[in-house]
Amino acid sequence: MTGEFIAFFVLSLLTIGGAVFMISFTRVVHMVISLGITFISIAGLYVLLGAEFVGVAQVLVYSGAISILMLFGIMLTKHDASDEGTGNTWKNWLSLIFVAALFGLMFWGIQSSVWPAPPETAASDVSNVKQIGLDVFKRYVIPFELISVLLLVALVGAIIMAKKEGNKE
Amino acid sequence: MRDLLQQTPSLGNALWFFLAAVVLLVILLGFVTYAIYFERKVIGWMQARIGPNRVGPLGLLQTVADVAKLLIKEDTRPKHADKALYALAPILAYAPAFAVLAVLPFTETLQFADLGIGILYYIALSGITVLGVITAGWASNNKYSLIGGLRSAAQMISYEVPLVMSVVGVVLMTGSMNLREIVLAQQDMWNFIPQFLGFAVFLVAAQAELNRTPFDLPEAESELVGGYHVEYSGFRFAMFMLAEYVYMFGMGAMVTILFFGGWLPIHPALSFIPGIVWFAVKLLLYVFLQFWLRATMPRPRVDQLMSFAWKVLLPVALLNILITAVVISYQSGMI
Repeated sequence: MTGEFIAFFVLSLLTIGGAVFMISFTRVVHMVISLGITFISIAGLYVLLGAEFVGVAQVLVYSGAISILMLFGIMLTKHDASDEGTGNTWKNWLSLIFVAALFGLMFWGIQSSVWPAPPETAASDVSNVKQIGLDVFKRYVIPFELISVLLLVALVGAIIMAKKEGNKE
Repeated sequence: MRDLLQQTPSLGNALWFFLAAVVLLVILLGFVTYAIYFERKVIGWMQARIGPNRVGPLGLLQTVADVAKLLIKEDTRPKHADKALYALAPILAYAPAFAVLAVLPFTETLQFADLGIGILYYIALSGITVLGVITAGWASNNKYSLIGGLRSAAQMISYEVPLVMSVVGVVLMTGSMNLREIVLAQQDMWNFIPQFLGFAVFLVAAQAELNRTPFDLPEAESELVGGYHVEYSGFRFAMFMLAEYVYMFGMGAMVTILFFGGWLPIHPALSFIPGIVWFAVKLLLYVFLQFWLRATMPRPRVDQLMSFAWKVLLPVALLNILITAVVISYQSGMI
């Protein structure tokens, strides 16, 4: 029983718990908060795996995203709005069967596949940021730049759509 | 970091971690107590008043009395507030403020966690506080606190961008995001001379991140009664105030580490004075700057605030990155 195991147990409990509550809560702000707990616990899991940079990037990106999501949730819904939930019981049962089948398939897949032994990497010094930087900006520089173009297009597209709506009024 | 996690947990080292954290907390509470006292005194002097001088000698126990008053106050909660989130918000606001202190190197040896990405850790965790502020504003079920929370979120998210960008210059010069290595790279010259543009942007953006004057719009009394924590009282209100002052401590430590050489003395001849003293002196000068600004600066309008971040600070920070990158490439013979 190592500290790593205890931390993994607590973090995975928080991750799954946050996700479950995200679905079962009925008010939008509660949902966003539990989603935030899930994201932050996933960051903790990354840190456990030795990927500090990915973990911190996860917190950096998603804490901002969660805040924005919450603002939109507050501004675009009524204060007392809540999901009334699905009353259809047979639909619930049907979805339960599908989810159980999916879980079974994935569990079977994970259990039966043979994982290659993890390559024995030299335990890197404190940081692996430098390695990530070298890989991204040397080996994978073209995909990286393409992604940035994609993001730029998405950004400009969002602005154009917002502008159009503004002109109509 | 990994060694720490892979240690076999035992009651002994768990107790040891706990004790270290408690000692830091006690030091922090002492700092906050006297920062508040000092703030009131300094502002008093600047306004030709005396400031608190009744409780204890020279009024030294004034803050202690104030905190005691806060703690024995009735813990009120608005009738239609969201119970769970109302209780959660102060924790969400305070916990990251304390957690960011883990990576700060106070001296060469005195540090809780030597992370390779210290700067990013600080910035990422401090972003979680925004969530606590919005939650507080929404859960109070009060329009003033909601507007305060929204303003605060907009401000903190906008100013985080120039804040991060202004640090990139320092990271480029050092070649590392480790805070200890950044300090050690400043042996010859403190970073605020070659990185003056970055320093200026950082100082302004940090002010906005801390919600301090002149960027204290989220709690503008004359417009919003009291901002996002207007419905809070007693212990929970104290948590918000504590988070604010702990961030001031953290930001002061960051400025010291990034731009003023951390625990390094002004001149190598003065190195007989221990590093922690140098660190404390630099930190306290930053804290004094806060009070000085508070006594002298007016508040900008809310519409001027956003355009300043995006149209002035961000371009200046980007220019700083460009200049730094060009100079470094030139020095290393790449161009």
